[in-house]
Amino acid sequence: MGDRMYEKILIPSMGEYLEETSAHVLKLVDDRETELIGLYVLDTSTPIFTPAKVKEMMVQELKKRGTEVLKEMEETFKKPNIKFKGIMVEGDPAHQIIKTAEQQNTDLIVISTGKSKINKHILGSVSEKVIHSTPCTTLLIKTE
Amino acid sequence: MVSWIVLVIALVVSLIIVIKAADIFVDNLVDIGKSVGISEIILGVTASAIGTSLPEFGSAMISVLSGSPDLGVGVVLGSNIWNIAGILGISAFVAGGIATGARELKRDGLMTLITGLILLGFILFVSSITAAVGIILVIAYAIYMWVLIKDEKEHKNESSDEPEESASTEAASTENQKPINKKRSLLMVVIGLVGLVVGCEVMVWSGVGIAKVAHVPQMIIGLFALAIGTSMPELVVTLGSALKKLHSLSMGTILGSNIFNILIGIGVPSLFTAIPVERLSVTFDAPVMIFVTALLILLSIRNKKLSRWGGVLLIITYLVYAVLRLFVLA
Repeated sequence: MGDRMYEKILIPSMGEYLEETSAHVLKLVDDRETELIGLYVLDTSTPIFTPAKVKEMMVQELKKRGTEVLKEMEETFKKPNIKFKGIMVEGDPAHQIIKTAEQQNTDLIVISTGKSKINKHILGSVSEKVIHSTPCTTLLIKTE
Repeated sequence: MVSWIVLVIALVVSLIIVIKAADIFVDNLVDIGKSVGISEIILGVTASAIGTSLPEFGSAMISVLSGSPDLGVGVVLGSNIWNIAGILGISAFVAGGIATGARELKRDGLMTLITGLILLGFILFVSSITAAVGIILVIAYAIYMWVLIKDEKEHKNESSDEPEESASTEAASTENQKPINKKRSLLMVVIGLVGLVVGCEVMVWSGVGIAKVAHVPQMIIGLFALAIGTSMPELVVTLGSALKKLHSLSMGTILGSNIFNILIGIGVPSLFTAIPVERLSVTFDAPVMIFVTALLILLSIRNKKLSRWGGVLLIITYLVYAVLRLFVLA
């Protein structure tokens, strides 16, 4: 496959580890013509009994954060050989990452992991779920 | 046995009705407010401040007015202790910590501490909370709301140059703005209010009943069963927002709720009838409430974060309080 190995890369991010992920992606892309897709998933699920207006506020805040994350990605990947597109979707993060990779026909997902063992047990891991059902090659970046 | 089952079922069902009715009431009240041109900032601040606290207020109000003031005071003090030591403790533990901004700690944290001290000051020197005290508490809340709205306006102005969506960004379609039907909203406000009153009546009736059947003081039912039950909205909002790293909402919900519970939850019922306060609440429950508030501020101030282990310490504090109150001091 040589130089043309990864032409369309999906970079899901919730804002964490963005610097480290971007550094890896830039190194990987180098000066090859590449299309990068930044993905922010709005996880708007809330437990029962969450007041409707509070849920609205949560969604607004998450949307604001998503716009900031995608904007930061766009700035980072502003290079002549890179075509960047930001996508914001709503739903379960792991499911939406896999779905977007399939819909956009990407040939690589670059995702980061950095949770401690306790956090993984309590909160679960999006990257683990993605790896188990990934439709394409996935690069898992271990962050501090 | 049958009366036990009936009372517990009534308590659970009434709790669900109260929480849902409060949500419907606030949701539609905000819609009406929007349609008559009240500022979004005022509506947002009001909705978040009272949205999760109406169940505590309703049950305290009905308890006091129906001659069970211990239950009402118990709900307020018990909710405030549970909100900080229980809910924030659990949320910080599960989410791995809750970041706290200097603004929230300074304004809401200090205000929570001050309202606790004001209440303790009054109940130490007067045998019951009278209408005069109630007026002071309600005025204090009005001032706090004014500061909140002013702060929110300034904050909105500062962030008015927030990032716009880029041309290369495809946004999620999360909004489906429905036109507001004023008549329907008004009807829903009435339905919400009726649900709130009826639900609170049944909740207080079942609380008093359980206290009788179990041979425990009404204060205990208020401090634990009703307090934890009516704080369900706070629990889901605080935990949910902590998991989504919406830290400001997480901490703000609890601190705002505690301020509302004291100033309005006790202030408004006392305008109608003097509220006698049990001795043990003056010497133990109210000081514990102030202690957990101070502990929260101390734990959060150092790293501007309530850490997971800070959360564990709060949970242990709650367990020690519950054991002492239920088995040693009862």
